Amino acid sequence: MQFLNHFFLKVLIPIKIGAINLSITNLTVWVFFAATILFLFMFFYSRRMTIIPKTGQGLLEIIVEFAKNNIAESTMGIDAKIWWPFIVAIFLFISINNLMGIFPNSYVPTSNIIFSATLAIMVFFIIQITGIFKTGIKGYLKNFFIPGVPKWLWIFITPVEIVSMLAKPFSLLLRLTANMLAGHLIIIVILSIITIFKNYLVAIPAIFLALFICFFEILISIIQAYIFSILTATYIKDILNPK
Amino acid sequence: MNSLSIGYLAAAIIIAIGATVSAISIAIISREALKGIARQPEASDKIQNSLIIAIALAEAIAIYALVGGLLLIFTAK
Repeated sequence: MQFLNHFFLKVLIPIKIGAINLSITNLTVWVFFAATILFLFMFFYSRRMTIIPKTGQGLLEIIVEFAKNNIAESTMGIDAKIWWPFIVAIFLFISINNLMGIFPNSYVPTSNIIFSATLAIMVFFIIQITGIFKTGIKGYLKNFFIPGVPKWLWIFITPVEIVSMLAKPFSLLLRLTANMLAGHLIIIVILSIITIFKNYLVAIPAIFLALFICFFEILISIIQAYIFSILTATYIKDILNPK
Repeated sequence: MNSLSIGYLAAAIIIAIGATVSAISIAIISREALKGIARQPEASDKIQNSLIIAIALAEAIAIYALVGGLLLIFTAK
């Protein structure tokens, strides 16, 4: 259990208001650090926009256009006109939080199940509220009482549809958390081979393997953010266009 | 065999089965994607997008197994 120390919350400044615990932990510090980096990057490079972009603005345009074209427009189609800022924001926020793992001795915010649960539950409520407001109560209920199937089959189909709707945020949060947790755990396990064998010959391949997995981890961070946002886009498209 | 060693054995079996299943599924996915790209090179962009998603979904199986195995190891008494 000792080498899991990196994944435990440490309270830095205890704040308690009644029964609510609002303490500043290392999770809070790293989330605010990531959000500040993202905010400063977006803020300073979008101040003076020029038609011919300079280095920073060009980078910003590449990232945002990649997310807009490949995630929002390729999955949602015409609905992307309204929804692309939300999808791009989710993609950028999750990927910058995942990428905090490349700093040594850091705490990856998305490896905490509560943080991922916050994002997934937010997505869940956005899906339900959009469905009710855009398609009406009747259109929303069509997701559970599917028209076109015989009415006696609703006894079996409706519970399945309700369970699959409730399972969506659960699968989103579990996939993100488990991937980030497992990736960083593997690095620690490989490096602790050195302390187990206490041998210089073991250290050389172990360090190179850990380095390779660090690079792999950067790829995984971005792919997980990509998957989270593409699944969000798919769920929103499904609820906007009921069958 | 006491309960501790049974717990460790269960963790080993879980990660072995999970890794095998996800390896086979990743192999099937990439084989079919490569076939599709070879037959229709102009569709490679679309295929690549869904290839990445499908691989990450299949890989998640192994990671669920890893988390389950770790929970078993650290809570076994």
